[in-house]
Amino acid sequence: MKAGPSPAWILLRVCVGAVYLFMLGPILITATVSFNASNRSVFPPQGFSLRWWARALSWEWLDPLLFSLKLATLAGLAATLLALPLAFALVRHRFRGRDILVALTLGPLLLPALVTGVGLLQLFQYAGLRDLIGLPALIVGHVVICLPFAVRTIAISLQGMPPNLENAAASLGAPPWRTQANVVLPLVKNGIVAGAVFAFIHSFTDVNLSLFLVRPGEIPINIKILGFLEFGFAPTLAAVSVLTIIIPLVVVAAVQRMTGLGDFLYAERGHG
Amino acid sequence: MASPRALGGDVHPAMGPPVRHLVSAHWLLAAIPALVLVVFFALPNALLLTVSFLKSEAQQLTGEVTLENYRFVLSRRLYLDAVIRTFAIGIAVGALDVLLAYPLAYFLVRTTSRWKGWLIALSLAPLLASVVVRTYGWYVILNRNGVANDALLLLGLTTERIALMPSSAAIAIGLAHALLPYAVLTIMGGLDAIPPNLERAAMSLGASRLRTFLSVTLPLSMPGVAGGFILCFSIAISAYATPAILGGPATQVLATAIYGFMTQLLDWSIGAALAVVLVASSLALLYLASRLGSRQVSL
Repeated sequence: MKAGPSPAWILLRVCVGAVYLFMLGPILITATVSFNASNRSVFPPQGFSLRWWARALSWEWLDPLLFSLKLATLAGLAATLLALPLAFALVRHRFRGRDILVALTLGPLLLPALVTGVGLLQLFQYAGLRDLIGLPALIVGHVVICLPFAVRTIAISLQGMPPNLENAAASLGAPPWRTQANVVLPLVKNGIVAGAVFAFIHSFTDVNLSLFLVRPGEIPINIKILGFLEFGFAPTLAAVSVLTIIIPLVVVAAVQRMTGLGDFLYAERGHG
Repeated sequence: MASPRALGGDVHPAMGPPVRHLVSAHWLLAAIPALVLVVFFALPNALLLTVSFLKSEAQQLTGEVTLENYRFVLSRRLYLDAVIRTFAIGIAVGALDVLLAYPLAYFLVRTTSRWKGWLIALSLAPLLASVVVRTYGWYVILNRNGVANDALLLLGLTTERIALMPSSAAIAIGLAHALLPYAVLTIMGGLDAIPPNLERAAMSLGASRLRTFLSVTLPLSMPGVAGGFILCFSIAISAYATPAILGGPATQVLATAIYGFMTQLLDWSIGAALAVVLVASSLALLYLASRLGSRQVSL
């Protein structure tokens, strides 16, 4: 085993290199195109220019970007606040109707978001709440599709916590609310933060649900890009696309420094 | 293990073990989130199902119960083709992703490289980019003047530039690219669940590495492979952005057809019927998967 890599392992490495190229190549090509001097989206690039970036950083594109940021922040926070008690109830209690609650919680993960988007559009329309299409409807929709991610992540950190700690706090005379606030919350803090981050990213990158709930001036960045792609593939759109990767990347990098997000991806696999 | 009650918990009888006390505690905790899910998830989907059985004029429902919407969808060549194309693309995407993800997942689980953590992060990083971003690069590669055509000309495989997109193949490649991290994650989970001792046992009994892989590792990792296939398939059949970018009017799929009926043709009943077809088929698949014993989404 220590006699250097076997031919099979070397072959595997070559395959892995090819898969990484397949995975990252198109994203790198998009990034390269955004610095292209040509008017068309061509690769390899013809010359170097920052003019597409100058256009991408105009208010025409910054407005929807900030709108997406606002939407993902509000939806991520709301989903986390709702997920916290839900995860507690599902992990800590066994009660009649729990299975139904589990199905309801995981439902948005199992049913296509596109279909939920269509359903929400019809609900708002037929309930006479057409005016709520736009930011309010988008927040509601995003909360629903982000909720399962937050609940599962928080549930994982709750399951990983020894219940004895709570019993210990109680036996030492701590009232229930104090046990929750001083013992449980700090221990599941990482899970809550990770859940909020997953919810944020899921909201920020969503296309399928948002499609149906936008109105002029209240359009997430991805839907706006998609709308422009119908008229052509201007390099500005490549620059805007790259811009949209930066926000989730910064959020993940910042949170990764504080807590280990990777632990939850790993655990999520274990439970998946 | 002494229960808290035995340790003097009777001072606070309300505490006890965290399971059975305060009869309504769990519903108290779950009431608001459950209400949100009922009103904004269960209700819209139920409404959709209802609307698919109602006749509608423009956007107004007439209240007349009918199967006409389904008959329309399943009798028109255009939409029947869209249904079939959607599933063909879904199967292609699932198969392609499982094939591409397996070597990568195997490598990531088994490597002892000190870059392991970074390599895993790199393979999941595309999830941070939205599908729109991930598909844009494929336009640059596949369009008439793109890299793929350049390469084909250079290699002498074609004599003139050909239309690689819009096409179902382009949609399948774009989606396979976009969903690959999900397959990697799922298959890694499957491989991780195999006790390493089994492989060592096989090899100590004289099996070659290849034999060990083929008769021990591969069969045991099948639940992960099946899970990865189903996950990619079920996301692929409801994807909108990639078919919209890399496809065209001649390569409609369910998602683009639904979008058309909802926003342009404004026949919401038929849009709803198409959506129900999509949901029914993806639920049927999940059920099939659970019967086949692949690992399910759970809490």
